[in-house]
Amino acid sequence: MQLASTTYDVDGFAAVQELYHANGWTDGLPIVPPTPDAVAACIEWAGMTPDQLVGVEPVREQPVTAEKLAVNAVMAGCLPMHFPVVAAAWAGMLREEFLLHGTTSSTGGCAVLIVINGPIRQEIGASGGFNALANSDRATAVIGRAIRLGLINILDVRPGGIDRSTFGHPGKFSFCVAEDEEDTTWTPLAQMRGVPQGVSAVTVMAAQGPRQLMNEWTTVPEEIIETFAAEMRANQRHYSIYGGNYVVVVPRQLREHFQKAGWSKADIGRLLFERARIKRKEWGDVGKGAVVRDRGESVYTALSAPEDALVIAAGGPAGGFGAIIPPWMGHKTRAVTVPIGVCVDCGPQTASSTAGSR
Amino acid sequence: MKIRVLDPTNETRLSAGEAAPRLRSLKGATVGFISNGKEGAKEFFVHLGRMLEHEHGVAKVVHRVKSNYSAPADRHIVDELRQWHAVVTGIGD
Repeated sequence: MQLASTTYDVDGFAAVQELYHANGWTDGLPIVPPTPDAVAACIEWAGMTPDQLVGVEPVREQPVTAEKLAVNAVMAGCLPMHFPVVAAAWAGMLREEFLLHGTTSSTGGCAVLIVINGPIRQEIGASGGFNALANSDRATAVIGRAIRLGLINILDVRPGGIDRSTFGHPGKFSFCVAEDEEDTTWTPLAQMRGVPQGVSAVTVMAAQGPRQLMNEWTTVPEEIIETFAAEMRANQRHYSIYGGNYVVVVPRQLREHFQKAGWSKADIGRLLFERARIKRKEWGDVGKGAVVRDRGESVYTALSAPEDALVIAAGGPAGGFGAIIPPWMGHKTRAVTVPIGVCVDCGPQTASSTAGSR
Repeated sequence: MKIRVLDPTNETRLSAGEAAPRLRSLKGATVGFISNGKEGAKEFFVHLGRMLEHEHGVAKVVHRVKSNYSAPADRHIVDELRQWHAVVTGIGD
């Protein structure tokens, strides 16, 4: 396989680390040396060619090729079997509605959250169980890291460069979760968003850090929802009032209450849409009275529509916890779902095209 | 032992265009401001526009605000700026 990247012949593993750190090519952690063989293996596994254009970053018009994604994926620790997920995630991030430049350059400091659905989860060992939103397994750890390293190196999203984040959050090292599809009766997220059953897919979202909540003192769905809604309202008050995609993470202990009562993901979305909303005047309660102006009675919903709730089953088997993952900034960015390795509604040159985005 | 490794950066950059010729003077010019719409930008640009008019002889100041502060300027603004002699843009947070 003919690769186009500049090569460096380096004296051993330690020298590779120093070369990459010195050039600003890492996230601060050690990297796996991206050798031509390892990079070629990733590209081949995904059935791609090195110069295949996964997309063009629309603002700065930067091309993103399979080869450069593979170099960064190997650096992150990816095996070839992980690479199709990375490539599909990038195809979603490069969709205009994701607003990649805005989300990665903003002072708001979000990360790219990746949710994996479908059979590929089990093929690559991606777990949605214990420690689901953190370092639960090898696959999600390295896939999430590959996204960040690609941003740094392909699009120059370095702190103080394109990345102007005031804080950022730990998810910017790696932010990837697999939905626990085996331990739920719920429809997987990707199917909720239009991907056919049995097709693997990734959903990408420009996301703030997770906000954990707890309610293990009820079995009533409406009461559990109220806790989630309160956390979303808190985010509206303290961070951004505007509606957008919120990931709603429900672990088994709380899922059992919903499922026993016959509640679907859509039911949860509908009630959250009703309950997670505030009036602008509530900003006055949290020190933001200066921007309430004459719109105090205006109502703002956390979700632009019930379908904006991206409900996923994930988490360890015990614990009456939940989490919401807010959007970077309301509806200015949209979550995008992309099937992996198949062409659902596209022509022959767009194997990484998307479906179900909204 | 030598290890051969690959450059991870984007080595195939497209042209980013080039800067327009600089103006010799602002006198009689039309100057457009493109604001990102954030609170900090609004008053600053209005004040700066007045300074250009009163102290530098600018004939006309045009203020435009992007519909999304994190996205490129809207198409109609980009089309309009061809009618201006100079453009001031920037972020206010």
